[in-house]
Amino acid sequence: MTDLFPPFLVYVAGAILLPFIPNGNPRALFSLLIPIISAYLIWFLPDGLHGQVVLAGWDITLLRVDKLSTIFGLIFSLAAFLGLLYAWHIRDTVQQTTSLLYAGAAIGAVFAGDLISLFIFWEGTAIASVFLIWARRTEGAYWTGLRYLIIQVGSGVVLLAGTVLHYQDTGSITFEAMTLGSVATWAIFLAFGVKCAFPLLHNWLQDSYPAATVTGTVILSAFTTKLAIYALARGFPGTELLIYIGATMTLFPIFYAVIENDLRRVLAYSLNNQLGFMVVGIGVGTPLALNGTASHAFAHILYKALLFMSMGAVLFRTGTVKGSELGGLYKSMPLTMIFCVIGAASISAFPLFSGFVTKSLILSASVHEGHYIVWGILLFASAGVFHHSGIKIPYFAFFAHDSGLRPKEAPWNMLLAMGITSVFCIGIGVYPEPLYALLPYDVEYVPYTTTHVITQLQLLFFSALAFTVLMKTGIYPPEMRLVNLDFDWTYRKLAPAIIRRCRTLFTRIWGGMMGASSTALNRGFVALQKAHSPQGSLARAWPTGTMVLWIAVLLGVTLIITYI
Amino acid sequence: MSDDMNQKPDTDPASLPWLGRKLLWLDDMKNVDRIVYALFVVCAGLFAADFFYHKHITVEIEAVPGFYALYGFFMCAALVICARALRVILKRPEDYYAPHDIESEAYPEDQLSRKTIND
Repeated sequence: MTDLFPPFLVYVAGAILLPFIPNGNPRALFSLLIPIISAYLIWFLPDGLHGQVVLAGWDITLLRVDKLSTIFGLIFSLAAFLGLLYAWHIRDTVQQTTSLLYAGAAIGAVFAGDLISLFIFWEGTAIASVFLIWARRTEGAYWTGLRYLIIQVGSGVVLLAGTVLHYQDTGSITFEAMTLGSVATWAIFLAFGVKCAFPLLHNWLQDSYPAATVTGTVILSAFTTKLAIYALARGFPGTELLIYIGATMTLFPIFYAVIENDLRRVLAYSLNNQLGFMVVGIGVGTPLALNGTASHAFAHILYKALLFMSMGAVLFRTGTVKGSELGGLYKSMPLTMIFCVIGAASISAFPLFSGFVTKSLILSASVHEGHYIVWGILLFASAGVFHHSGIKIPYFAFFAHDSGLRPKEAPWNMLLAMGITSVFCIGIGVYPEPLYALLPYDVEYVPYTTTHVITQLQLLFFSALAFTVLMKTGIYPPEMRLVNLDFDWTYRKLAPAIIRRCRTLFTRIWGGMMGASSTALNRGFVALQKAHSPQGSLARAWPTGTMVLWIAVLLGVTLIITYI
Repeated sequence: MSDDMNQKPDTDPASLPWLGRKLLWLDDMKNVDRIVYALFVVCAGLFAADFFYHKHITVEIEAVPGFYALYGFFMCAALVICARALRVILKRPEDYYAPHDIESEAYPEDQLSRKTIND
């Protein structure tokens, strides 16, 4: 059928075999082998189109191998490995198998060369991943999972509709760069946008990621949104609209992140903000910008996973990740704290950490192309992300006021996963050349210049200064047990309320109409009865004299009319 | 929180991990103040640094001395103040979406491994 072994099949085979392996360390070890094998396969895949099959008349390409798909395939394999190591202690077969299938579907999607197989993998990621939310096994997680599934599957349905229309327009299902214009391309764009958490389509992300299990969130954070980034980079590079969408994405989540109490939701908001940088890169579309997007996705998957891991460890040991309930954990969980700070420094793009050598490509590209306002927004968003992810997360979890909690350090597997991820975060920051070599285009970029280092340090340290001043003066909003309304309010509260109102209204109108018509019918029957019943006026026996009198009157009237 | 005050002295430094003991100096407010002063000094130094090297600029506004510092400081302050104002409008009780939300639920105990340093 195919000349090469598609890496996603390794995950499928692994997921099928996994339940037969004794639950415990052997099974955990087995699951770790899968991403290693897949990374090995991806590394040695020759460039070009492979795995081409004809399925029900469609030309399916399972493996389109180039630098763009390879870098995403590799980082997905690495993320799967780290996530599974972090989840070593999990004995829940559902989570174990769906984690593998989810990673497999995401890897399948980035190598898909046509829109049909992309659609199948696209839905695969949706269906496999919802189990990581449902695995929490609470009522709230059940409902959150349903919302997540409806939106994710909905995105797939829109993608399929777009694919069908695209085929009608062009006669091809090849997944390649498109230009917005037809209904088909807009539908495909929208499908990607839902998974990429475009503004107003974003709430599934902040809703669902904090609802997943301790380990589930770490795995979720890597794949779905970055698959969408890949799909946009493949399908719509250089689409100017994406610059403005991306800039908006970097901007508004940071306001929410400042006031959000659930620290894993703060991270979900900052994930959204980081996606914005990548989307801007795709919109700018120059080789430098697309390299920026690919490298930033790579670095982002690692530091975001690291941050989710550290917050997961806190949740695992204390039962909560609410900023209002935490504080002072650095004494008893110092290693987790240090790993968290490394993740925080990486997302904030401190020199010598991964974000510094990747995000700057996107900023440079946008300024080179003359998008000065966008550049200003990105700069603001960079300072903002340092503010809430870089300072707020470690500060409220590990320092701030002492919560009195003295949890034990995270278990060994979590520490090891965080340790390895930290090594990557620092390694990329200190020595970015190997990552740059993996990027889709050959572009010379030197991140460590005096100007770049000093200006970035100025931006970050003065943001920290702002935080300190606001904290000392009591202006900084304290963490409170609250939820903040976001756009999801429209479909979680407003739309149901409107539907309820409409239902009540229609019931009333219907009832009124039924009432009125039955009254009218009743009246009719009463009138009929009055006239025609045995006692009715028409059925009564009339005296003949009355009859004659009426005929005389009628005759008289006729005569008068005739002769006048 | 009064509970915290009661619990703090209970923590025996010997029960903390080695690294945690090494970091206990952070508990002393005087040391925290020292960190804050150090931050002031670093910020002043970074601001001054702008006068001592040749800045490669692409946007004219970058030429303003300390542009990045001022931008970072004032934009962050604005961010927090706006977010704080926004919260007044957006905040709702934690059980606002309950039971269709995890926000007011406890995390299932059987999936946790709650341990303290004394366990």
